[in-house]
Amino acid sequence: MTSTIELHTTVRLPPAPAPRIEVATRLRRRDRRRRNAAVDALAIIVWVSAALAAALYLASPGAHILSGGAAFVTAAGIVAGLVATDLVLVMIVLAARVPLIDRVFGTDRAIAVHRSLGKPVLYLILVHGLLITIGYGLSDRTNPVAETISLFTTLPDMPLAYLSLGLFVAVVVTSLVAVRRRLPYEAWHVIHLLSYAAVAVALPHQLSVGSVLASGTWQRVYWIALYVLALGAIVVYRFLLPILVTFQHRIRVVAVEPIAPGVVSIHLSGRDLTRLGVQGGQYGVWRFWTTGTWWHAHPVSFSAVPSENHARITVRDLGAGSRRLSRIRAGAFVSLEGPYGLFTAKARTAPYLTLIASGIGITPIRSLLEDSVLREGEATVLLRGSDPDQRYLWNEVADLATVTRSEIFAMIGPRPSGADAWQSAEDWNRGVTLTSTFPHLLESDLYICGPQPWTDLVVRDARLAGVPEHQIHQERFSS
Amino acid sequence: MRPRAVAGGVFASASVLLIGWQIGAAQVSATTSTSTPATGSTSGSSGSASTGSGSTGSASGSTGTSSGSSASTATPSASATATPAAGSSVSGTFDGATTETRFGPVQVEIVVSAGKITDVVALQLTNEGGRSVEISNYAAPILRTEALSAQSAKIQSVSGATYTSEGYVTSLQSALDKAGL
Repeated sequence: MTSTIELHTTVRLPPAPAPRIEVATRLRRRDRRRRNAAVDALAIIVWVSAALAAALYLASPGAHILSGGAAFVTAAGIVAGLVATDLVLVMIVLAARVPLIDRVFGTDRAIAVHRSLGKPVLYLILVHGLLITIGYGLSDRTNPVAETISLFTTLPDMPLAYLSLGLFVAVVVTSLVAVRRRLPYEAWHVIHLLSYAAVAVALPHQLSVGSVLASGTWQRVYWIALYVLALGAIVVYRFLLPILVTFQHRIRVVAVEPIAPGVVSIHLSGRDLTRLGVQGGQYGVWRFWTTGTWWHAHPVSFSAVPSENHARITVRDLGAGSRRLSRIRAGAFVSLEGPYGLFTAKARTAPYLTLIASGIGITPIRSLLEDSVLREGEATVLLRGSDPDQRYLWNEVADLATVTRSEIFAMIGPRPSGADAWQSAEDWNRGVTLTSTFPHLLESDLYICGPQPWTDLVVRDARLAGVPEHQIHQERFSS
Repeated sequence: MRPRAVAGGVFASASVLLIGWQIGAAQVSATTSTSTPATGSTSGSSGSASTGSGSTGSASGSTGTSSGSSASTATPSASATATPAAGSSVSGTFDGATTETRFGPVQVEIVVSAGKITDVVALQLTNEGGRSVEISNYAAPILRTEALSAQSAKIQSVSGATYTSEGYVTSLQSALDKAGL
């Protein structure tokens, strides 16, 4: 343990007295309405963009003088390709960490939607290639194989289009759960980055072979604008902004403090860290620029709200990359993407607050509690560990609970072996439930953070108890 | 997804699709209406020709005026040999107007012998965009055969080569107009 430097984050007193319950409720209801409106607007934009892609074709004269079955097959293929490309661009925007999307929707949910689109979009792309080949083949009176060869050899940009198709297949296949689990994260990530190449090399054939986006049409202008928008979002929010943040704040490792077997708190220094605008419960994607670690980005929660020159994250060695983090030396240069996440007090919708943390899931719960302005008895905290070693930061949370006049419970012990339960075996047998632990459960915002299977069980029980969906908050860590 | 987002999305998408369809339809009707004057004048000239054939006796005189009026567009040599009505003795080569299509200009030339179309030569065919040349090469012989058997511009367009066919028919019709057929 460290003794020379004062590393322990000081617990800050709430800056202002908590607002009255009616006022807080009214403000939260308003914020929730606004967030929902924004999310609905974004969803409608996605719908409309897909419809616009199809409308580009409908608005071209070619769609109005179709004759013969072959023409209709080709037309369906064209529409499939346009809609698929539009959705690929939507997927890119969803993965671009656009601040607006993170603020109203949460990056984790955006990534979940991104993921759910992957397979359907690939099918659309395959259907596009298949239908057009068949359609052209019918009108040229050749079989699909001969047509494919003729497409490949006679048209200028088609080899690139086939390359794009191959890349899309590779990207989606490596992202299938079964395949991805076997791949190291970095391998998957490098392959996934090929999707930018896939999107890029698909463009020439859209502009040269297709007639919908022929030069001089407004369709072509719109289409190129879409590409610029989507790829621009990536460049700005995933590359330029993180670089700017990194150089502005000049974050460096001050010390690595072991707090339990396999768990370290990394103390960071930097300039103007309050201007990062970190809210308690948020996370950053961190990269430590030392020889063994620079190629690995770590999504890790802030375990304390940063002060002017000091920030802290707490990491458990869940993988080889995290294990190396415990050996990082002081002075290492750190780059940061973020802060991200909607696991914050801003997302609250209910008059009471329930925080449930297990294991290393304590970190966002701790900073969330630190960043919350609370009435006496408004918050109840339940800390869960499968053994006494897992009491990471529990003493700090206990201090915060005292300061915020919150109730705090602890539950230690493994889960029961025979039953699907999030409780310890002992408490499970005693009949402890969410309802028995949290008297205001149904009027509470539930913030849950822990291992995913455990979190799923807590969420299941909360739903069964009748907690409305919008009061359940969880952060899923997986990029 | 919330019901409001779904309802809004479906409604907005349907509107967009409808508007897109309308824009496309308007464009198509615009191109047909610009080509309608051409067909209109065609039927007009054939009408005057039939009135010419109606007044069979003064055929050559009325023909002289009618061919004179059409001579402004037709080549002098053609109008010189052009004879009316039965149209039995028109001979020569007539170039159709160049028709602009989305994939490039189309122009055909007809060879007429004694009032019969004996050949259709494609002077220019759609050649812009990767597949256009391929499509043109495929469609041109079919269109030529159709035109020769129909002896008019009332021919089926070749599926998969709609633009080429349209341009072909328009240019062919203008060539027929010049020939007074």
